[in-house]
Amino acid sequence: MSRTRKPPGYGSLSLRGAALLYVGLLIVLPVIAISSRALGGGITSLWTQITSPQAMAALKLTLLMAFIMVLINVVTGTAMAWVLVRYRFPLKKVINAMIDIPFAIPTVVTGIMLVVLYGPRSILGTLFSRMGVEIIFDKPGIVLALLFVTFPFVVRSVQPVLMEMEPDMEEAAQTLGASRSVTFFRIVLPTLLPAILTGAALSFSRALGEFGSVVIVAGNIPLKTQTAPVYVFGEIESGNVQSAMGVSLFLLFSSFLVLVMLKLIQNRSQRHVEST
Amino acid sequence: MKKCLIAWVAALVVFGCQDGASKTDTVTLTLGAYTVPKEAYQKAIIPAFKKLWRERTGQEVEFAESYIASGAQSRAILAGFEADIAALSLEHDVERLREAGLITHDWKTGEHGGFITESLVVIAHRPGNPKGISDWESLTGPEIDVIYPSPKTSGGAMWFVNAIYGAGLKKGESRGQGTDPGYARSLLKRIQSRVRVMDSSGRASVTTFENGIGDALLTYENEALLRQKQGRDFPFIIPGATILIENPIALIDKNLEKHGNRAVAEAFLKFLHSAEAQRHFAEFGFRPVDTAVKAEFEAKYPVPDQLFNIQYLGGWTRVSEEIYGENGIWPIIVQEIANE
Repeated sequence: MSRTRKPPGYGSLSLRGAALLYVGLLIVLPVIAISSRALGGGITSLWTQITSPQAMAALKLTLLMAFIMVLINVVTGTAMAWVLVRYRFPLKKVINAMIDIPFAIPTVVTGIMLVVLYGPRSILGTLFSRMGVEIIFDKPGIVLALLFVTFPFVVRSVQPVLMEMEPDMEEAAQTLGASRSVTFFRIVLPTLLPAILTGAALSFSRALGEFGSVVIVAGNIPLKTQTAPVYVFGEIESGNVQSAMGVSLFLLFSSFLVLVMLKLIQNRSQRHVEST
Repeated sequence: MKKCLIAWVAALVVFGCQDGASKTDTVTLTLGAYTVPKEAYQKAIIPAFKKLWRERTGQEVEFAESYIASGAQSRAILAGFEADIAALSLEHDVERLREAGLITHDWKTGEHGGFITESLVVIAHRPGNPKGISDWESLTGPEIDVIYPSPKTSGGAMWFVNAIYGAGLKKGESRGQGTDPGYARSLLKRIQSRVRVMDSSGRASVTTFENGIGDALLTYENEALLRQKQGRDFPFIIPGATILIENPIALIDKNLEKHGNRAVAEAFLKFLHSAEAQRHFAEFGFRPVDTAVKAEFEAKYPVPDQLFNIQYLGGWTRVSEEIYGENGIWPIIVQEIANE
């Protein structure tokens, strides 16, 4: 540490203060507010709220759907980023711009689009239902909606890393006789992994809270196709604030846990890179 | 770009100010209503009242209207939305405002018991009635998909579950077995197990049904009549036993005091109970509460034999505990269905 620290000027102090205040007001305070409300009735009452059969079923469904979505998203998102960075093809710029559309579309519209496309009256919907697969108003619809709204996360976190990646390592591996698949799994994938995990964690957290599209495409039958955010909404609407807060807190905690785990993994791989 | 933005902001400011300054002889009424009567208010009743008030006083009435789900509207008013009049779907949603001290008078002693319109729970089916839907029992067949919104997310949806349960009780009664909770429970369970989609509101359910999902839809008679009025093929049956829905309306004293517009608000409420407004409601599919207008529309609104109201089930307080409470009939039935 040869750099000497200058005593902070008023400008930088107030900037830091403003930044902290902003985070405090926008994120920390609401989190504290909901936590204290949820814990207001004591831990045991919170626990009974979360473990009620309807809440449990809703939470399980939400976690499961988010998990399936992440598995698909990790593969397709990475492949999409790969195609966009490594290949040239017509309309590439347009397609690249289209990746972000899911962020710009109101999620309710996403739900409606999916119903129009896969609903029981649509051509695709009738086709699938003849094969015995119900998409809309069942679990596949939920996964589809989640895939749509979280689509950009993995692509957009992997893309910049791929662009920065120098081809020399891959070339070296290939000149040493490694096959293409070995090169991909031993050289490319480890480099991309932190970015893929970032995308996965963000999309998982986002999916836990997705409401607008899911409420339209899921059947919302309690214990069957009702996700946790829809359950929370129902509890609020019927005046059971305590139970709504409990389940909300659980969702909040889950997504916080995922983000903390992500940070830990990132730190570890950072250290790994630095030590080699 | 920047210039555009500045011009736009400037325009807003200028027009915004003009808007505020020019109105001198106007009075504003804020109506906080549930979604269903929107067309009746906007297309007929509000224009008629504006005209009446202008003729009577020379004053213009401006209406600020909000139409959202009944429960949400009630909570919005509670949270500080300064509505002068609350026209809601459930008695309970108005009671909540009284309990919070926003309504200081006993609104139930008003004209027609504080209610402004009535409706029924009916069963809509596909044109031609391919699945032969005729009564509650016909909704329980294995080939039937039933749709109604979740009573958890839509307070109004409680009417549907109440209708099924009460109809079950009525059936036991007509067999001379007294009110039979066993049959009522079994009927509710068998219908609930045929439900494929539970939307978050009554309107959303109608949309789902119109999108081609389901064979039968539980809806309000006025909703079905409104669709028919709009020229759509929306057939429905009135079951022999069904529930009478009564929609409350109340002036919100605290907000009237704040706005100083009690006179016009009271006149509006009186107008809503008048034969003219009641006729408008009747034309938009609501059953009137005014006896004379009721008689005029007798043919349009037949009264089913076994009509009952919420009192038959013991009133809202008892219903919300016994049917929807933590260990209520509905949550337990839903649980049983999921476990099967």
